[in-house]
Amino acid sequence: MKRSTPYLLLAPALLFTAFVLAYPLVQNIVNSFREISLIKGAGSWTGFGNYANVFRDALFWLSFRNTVVYAIVGTVLALLIGLGFALLLNDRIGKITGIAGFLYTIPWVVSPVVAGFAWKWLLNDTFGIANHWLVSAGIVKKGFSWLGNPQTALLCVAVARVWQFYPFAMVMFLAGLQTIPKEQYEAAAVDGTSPLRGFYHITLPNLRSVTSVLVLLGVIWSFNDFNMVFVMTRGGPINASMVLPVLVREYSFVHFDVGKGSALSILVFGLLISLSFVYLKVLSRRESL
Amino acid sequence: MNRMRVFIFLFSLAALSCGRKDDAIEIQFWNFGGTPNFIEWVRNRVDMFNKTHPGVRVVISDKSWNMIREILYANYSAGTAPDIMTLHANEAADYGEAGFFYPINTFPDFEQVKKWYQPNLLESTRYKGNYYGLPGSAIAFVLVCNKDLFDAEGITPPKTWSEFREAARRLTKGTDGDGSIDQYGLVLLGGDKGGFAYRLAPFILKAGGRILSDDLKTVTFNSPRAVAALKLFTDMYQVDHSITPGFLAYTMSEIGDLFCSNKVAMSIEGPWFKVMVEEKSPGKEFYTVPVPVPDDMLDQYDTAPTLQDMVMYPINAHTKHPNEAWEFVKFLRNEEADMSWVQKNLGGIATTVHALNSPEAASRKDWLVYKNELAHALPWPPHPSINAIARNVITPYGEKAIVGELTPSVAMEQAAREAQAILEGRK
Repeated sequence: MKRSTPYLLLAPALLFTAFVLAYPLVQNIVNSFREISLIKGAGSWTGFGNYANVFRDALFWLSFRNTVVYAIVGTVLALLIGLGFALLLNDRIGKITGIAGFLYTIPWVVSPVVAGFAWKWLLNDTFGIANHWLVSAGIVKKGFSWLGNPQTALLCVAVARVWQFYPFAMVMFLAGLQTIPKEQYEAAAVDGTSPLRGFYHITLPNLRSVTSVLVLLGVIWSFNDFNMVFVMTRGGPINASMVLPVLVREYSFVHFDVGKGSALSILVFGLLISLSFVYLKVLSRRESL
Repeated sequence: MNRMRVFIFLFSLAALSCGRKDDAIEIQFWNFGGTPNFIEWVRNRVDMFNKTHPGVRVVISDKSWNMIREILYANYSAGTAPDIMTLHANEAADYGEAGFFYPINTFPDFEQVKKWYQPNLLESTRYKGNYYGLPGSAIAFVLVCNKDLFDAEGITPPKTWSEFREAARRLTKGTDGDGSIDQYGLVLLGGDKGGFAYRLAPFILKAGGRILSDDLKTVTFNSPRAVAALKLFTDMYQVDHSITPGFLAYTMSEIGDLFCSNKVAMSIEGPWFKVMVEEKSPGKEFYTVPVPVPDDMLDQYDTAPTLQDMVMYPINAHTKHPNEAWEFVKFLRNEEADMSWVQKNLGGIATTVHALNSPEAASRKDWLVYKNELAHALPWPPHPSINAIARNVITPYGEKAIVGELTPSVAMEQAAREAQAILEGRK
């Protein structure tokens, strides 16, 4: 085989990648340094002007805070629930079966747009089943507007995010649990270790690398999540659930300030790429173990 | 022999392909949104045009109304915008300023065509002396009142702000005996950016307030009258609790459901509402009345302007076939076509003088209100930034006032400062 053959074989894929990935990225970087509007077209170079405008915008800081909350709540709760289900499935406790395990993964395969609409109706203040149950149980007197209240909207979207992400965490944890040698638990049992201590001293340390990967993926995907928030609240009410990906759209297609939208998307991209490097580092360390 | 067969085969193939060649000029028409009845009607109209105009073929594509600005701006930027499209007339300034639209007043027969339309409606397609589209269907914002609830309470639709507030208060109640409120006086559209501004603006206008000064250089929606309009909503929400608590999450769909299930008594809507109600709850009746006025303006109840909006049909400034596009737009919007808006329930009000003054129009009770309101209604001011101001400034600040984050006067002052900065190009 000639030395150039692998490169020739790779060329179509590389060209395609360059076209769909590199070109938009480079164009986006260029746009972020220009005064560019979809209405007025490309204008002059502004240096870091668009970035400065982003940092000066109070809505950016609100969105950043919301995104961090959304990522933390969405990831931590999903991991806890996913771990819980994985433990039940691994030990075949109660009525948890393989079929049940399959059913628990369904949220993961539902389109975020469909899931978003479903959650929106579940939480509807008048017709939603969530309020119906709460009223029936006597917990609240009348339906509460979960998505129409600035104090609860973000939390509700994060709950929907948890619902969609926990099955992935569950599958990953389950895979991790099944790699833990049984001998470790048997030895602990001989020493009289309680199941709870076994969980802390055997299970959790063995799941450390899976957990690291899940945390990173959860944060990256939450930072990137546009669909769920957009479908459920569009960033409202009064920007209470505005997150960075939705703000990029706001800047670019509502305010038609593509320069500012590009600057923000590059900032988010930089953040995510940093997290991705950490992810790769964790992954390589895991593989080397 | 074989060569002969191959030759005959190739010749037949070539002849067939020649026969299929279509020399008709293709016009791309993007229809954004519309009720199912309207979409069916417009498709029939396109078919009719294609049959009667052999040299031109109009290709219609249906697009989402919710994404209209994104789709059009992106396609204009990419040079792939259609020849003809539907759009709000209040975008005429924005797109006209950008040079996106063909000035239809340059067509030789424009002066003749102009006479088809009610003058103030056609005027809302004008920006800096040019007309940028033929009027489609007109919208006047009115108050719709749930007949079941009003009749049960024994009250009539309100005319003044006091009556409006009182009606909303009386119609806010618990109906199932559990002690909690499950029926509200008023619902507002808050889950759609911009939707709220379209509900507040009719009250500002009816009260004598204006959005911008006549020279379009100064923000005026912070005038005492405009602040009073916002305070009316604020008091209804915070003091009377007569506005649905969850309105900030509502889109049109939820409003229709609430109205049709008798959970709300009033909403600020346009002609599309009748179609939506008929779809969700056939036979349901409601009163269509002008938006109430301040108590001291009762004598101007049906003459003070409400907010006017309109769908128009502009032609792409970069079209290769302006004359053919113009022919199609005229065909779509001529007096005969406009009668369909009177005869069918398409979700809008006719715009031609012929249709509006027809006996059929006179026989439609709700149309009398719309026709009268349209005669006085005012569109959003023709400024390129007006949509940005309505969606990104008036809506969030207005909503902040209603939920109590800001007082109405502070909200309007802050909104006015921000809007003024936009007008002056500082933001």
